[in-house]
Amino acid sequence: MRRGRGRSAAAIVTVAGLAAVPLVVTDSYTLNTLILVFYYAYLGQAWNLLGGYAGQLSLGHSAYFGVGAYASTLLFTIVGLSPWLGMWVGAAAAALLAVGIGLLGFRFGLRGVYFALTTLAFNEILRVLVLHWDLAGGAVGVFLPFRGDAPALFQFRGRVPFYYISLAMMVLATALVAWIGRSPLGWRLKAVRDDEEAARAVGVDATRAKLAAITLSGALTALGGTFYAQYYLNIHPSVVFSTPLSIEILLRAFVGGAGTVLGPIVGAAILTPLGEFSRSAFARGGLEGLHLVVYGGLLIVTVLFFPRGLVDGVARAWRKLVS
Amino acid sequence: MGLVGRPGMDRRAFLAGAGAAAVTMAAGARIGAAQAKTIKIGAIHPVSGVLAQVGQACRQGAQLAVAEINRAGGIRSKDARLELLVGDSESKAEVGAAEAERLIREGAQIIIGAFQSDVVMAIAQVCERREVPFVVDVGAADQITTSGFTKVFRIFPTTSALGKNGAAYLAEIIRLSGAQVERAVVTYTKDLFGTVVSKAFLQAMEAAKSPVKIVEVIGYDLTVQDLSTEVARIKAARPDVLLPFNRIRDSVMLVRELYKQRVPLKGILSPGSPGWYEKEFIEQTGPLGEFAMDAPPWYNPKSPLHGRVEAAFRRAYDRGVDTNSGYSYEGIVVAADALERAKSLDPAGIVAALRTTSIKDHLMAGGPITFDAQGQNVNASTSLIQVQKRRPVVVLPDAEAEARPVFPAPGWDERT
Amino acid sequence: MSAVLLGQALVGGLLTGAVYSLMAVGLSLIFGVMRVTNFAHGELMMVGMYVTVFASAASGLDPYLTLPAAAVSLFVVGYLLQRVLVGRVLEMPEEIQVLLLVGVALVLQNGALFLFGPNHRGVQTPLALAALPLGPLTVDVARLVAGGLAVALTGALALFLGRSRLGTLLRAAADSRDGARIVGADVNRLYGVAYGLGAACAGTAGALIVPFFEVAPDVALPFTLTSFVVVILGGMGSLAGAFVGGLVVGVAEAIGAVVFAPSLKPVVAFGLLVLILVVRPTGLLGRA
Repeated sequence: MRRGRGRSAAAIVTVAGLAAVPLVVTDSYTLNTLILVFYYAYLGQAWNLLGGYAGQLSLGHSAYFGVGAYASTLLFTIVGLSPWLGMWVGAAAAALLAVGIGLLGFRFGLRGVYFALTTLAFNEILRVLVLHWDLAGGAVGVFLPFRGDAPALFQFRGRVPFYYISLAMMVLATALVAWIGRSPLGWRLKAVRDDEEAARAVGVDATRAKLAAITLSGALTALGGTFYAQYYLNIHPSVVFSTPLSIEILLRAFVGGAGTVLGPIVGAAILTPLGEFSRSAFARGGLEGLHLVVYGGLLIVTVLFFPRGLVDGVARAWRKLVS
Repeated sequence: MGLVGRPGMDRRAFLAGAGAAAVTMAAGARIGAAQAKTIKIGAIHPVSGVLAQVGQACRQGAQLAVAEINRAGGIRSKDARLELLVGDSESKAEVGAAEAERLIREGAQIIIGAFQSDVVMAIAQVCERREVPFVVDVGAADQITTSGFTKVFRIFPTTSALGKNGAAYLAEIIRLSGAQVERAVVTYTKDLFGTVVSKAFLQAMEAAKSPVKIVEVIGYDLTVQDLSTEVARIKAARPDVLLPFNRIRDSVMLVRELYKQRVPLKGILSPGSPGWYEKEFIEQTGPLGEFAMDAPPWYNPKSPLHGRVEAAFRRAYDRGVDTNSGYSYEGIVVAADALERAKSLDPAGIVAALRTTSIKDHLMAGGPITFDAQGQNVNASTSLIQVQKRRPVVVLPDAEAEARPVFPAPGWDERT
Repeated sequence: MSAVLLGQALVGGLLTGAVYSLMAVGLSLIFGVMRVTNFAHGELMMVGMYVTVFASAASGLDPYLTLPAAAVSLFVVGYLLQRVLVGRVLEMPEEIQVLLLVGVALVLQNGALFLFGPNHRGVQTPLALAALPLGPLTVDVARLVAGGLAVALTGALALFLGRSRLGTLLRAAADSRDGARIVGADVNRLYGVAYGLGAACAGTAGALIVPFFEVAPDVALPFTLTSFVVVILGGMGSLAGAFVGGLVVGVAEAIGAVVFAPSLKPVVAFGLLVLILVVRPTGLLGRA
């Protein structure tokens, strides 16, 4: 009880501190980097629900991301619906897609690699189909009209509004994940992850639990897609439906620690600045590609030495130090 | 020289200053003298990732231009040297925007880039927010200059212009040769560039009431591994000419496959895509790539600058100037010219100078570089080039031509 | 759509499919022996392509003659990969293995970009442009050689696994780790050999296609995905299944390109994958 209160207090202080950052920092580059940290932490958190808590490896989360980005964008460019509303349509559409993939995968007992490949296949199919869908811009993608400062349309000239939106998304998603983690659903998911047969034996409806996780995970990811579309005002099938994006998302959660509340945040806080730093350090001097080698190397090192993620590794090291 | 407020004179002086003769005459005294000030230009191109090859060519063009300008005395009206800050978009819009932020923070007063239209759009928003002028060297999507940006200046032709010129060159080549051309097949890659330019081209063909019938349009994925089926379809459509929109790898695959299936063609004419003039294409295809025609934005071989720039390029990078490196080179020239003329080095001063740009003698084809109200270079143009004796040469327009077009091309087995 | 066009697609699809088969056999072998899905398979193929490009340029030999160089060096790469990295995560959950190999793929792809630059590189061989007329059809000689050698090598591998002592041990290790240990085999070395053989399959496939498909650091992903489709189609771990699966995918893609549109090729392959997962998750020739 006391420990829980301490944690809540720490969380509130941290969020308040982050909320105060734009009052002090006006440098647009730093703000952009922080926005990307929050945004990837948010996406990592969405992935975490399915990949971490439910233990179902998804290699195709960009499918939900793309559906969200396209839904809100097309509703805006064709119907004129504000992306603030369109994003929920996107979330619903992505939830439907997730249910479909989930039914297919879980009903037929696809696990591990089979499930991972199914998610990947769905993303590839969607990418190619959207490439051929002329109404959605086809291979041209969609350029959202630039409206300058238009808060009602989810468009802002400055970085600060996007900073607060991304911060709020990260905080809310994290709170949701923390809450689910302690809810009955969370326990069921963990039971399924650790030993599905045993969980079924004690009466856990494994398929239903996993379906809940994938649906929520997909819907949250779709909202991230809308954020991307509004932040960059341009979407393209080969970007928003891409396997490299799926990998970027899961890397955050995994490096930090899949299945932990703080994992995606820690992962994003390490990987995003690392990417920025190594790109500006290496790409400048003609060392193209080296920063992604560093990236891959870090992933390998994490897998070998901190297979449960850095959060867990640090916690262990701390406990060892204390005891 | 270097007088502010007399753009016409200043421009010529600047360009002459860039020339070898003027270096000793005008700027000699300045060189060596410590120039305390530097003006930073940020150049963002896709130097890693899928498009790394063209991205690096762009970066090289920009680097060469900066080196030349500095050798000729830098921005003389401001007594400053240029410094190029380079960024890598990794072919991703998101990364391009982050790089723009970084370069602006590091002091870039003008950004140039970025090859891909979607990355250009992302950078344009950053520049618009930060009020930093953005010179688009390569990037064809019409939206770049129709989205209401006020800090964006594009020297590259628009998609519509590429399509229209492609159709016009096709008509012209048929008229000049008197050959019978009735059927044509269009192929394109299912990416942004291939799709929009092929569409613009097909519209232009229709608008011009071209007598050439497009009997089939074939699109394929950018990551295509094998074009044999596509070429079988081409062959079955019995075209007189093939009109491809592609990237580099597939142009090599396409030509080899056309040869292997001995598809009889009077010629290949790409209405403006890359892949038909690069060193790699020419080396990999040899005699088969001979006579391939392309209508890209190209350098003007009759430009007074061309000989020197071409030689400098070959010396530095072991390859000639082409569309991408040439336009990035020119992007720096445009930026430097604006900096030279700007009344002040704040964004408003530089943007005002860019608006009144008028560069008559420049490297790439087309009339003087001047921007319309939307920031589009109204004189951006394309040339018809053809691989002849393993070298891309300009064959049209006549005023810039280095050789006469060969059309119809000899059969596949009659080439050397 | 004419019969000639379909015939041409069929021939092209079979030949391309044979190369898919060789790659997929390697992937299936690795999976069969140690239950690891090699997410860096396409990257290993890319390394084989680079080895061929450099070996044939340095020696002046025809790229087909430097095939053993690609096979041997990729065997070594695969062996080391297993002993140094993959061997450490065999007991861990599947997703950990997948992520390790995603990391390896990132390092290989971008390491190649760093070392060799982004430019496409090919090889020079007179065979690359040769074609044989077959009635109204054209048969591409380089693809014919690639397809033929792929079939031959797959056969040789099957023979090796079926007849040799090492092959018997590998199959024993695949059945159960303890089984192999009982007969006195060093399981870790066996796993290394299996990974090496699998990587050599990918590398050889790369060497076979480089005469008509130039290499660049980013060519891998579509091949990795195609290999997955093939292996799942044929049944994970089944070598015969991988062989048949490769041909099926090659032909399906080619026919799909004719019937629908060439740019829909990936949908054909992945649609096939989803279909097989629903209808028969164990694959065509796999056992439940």
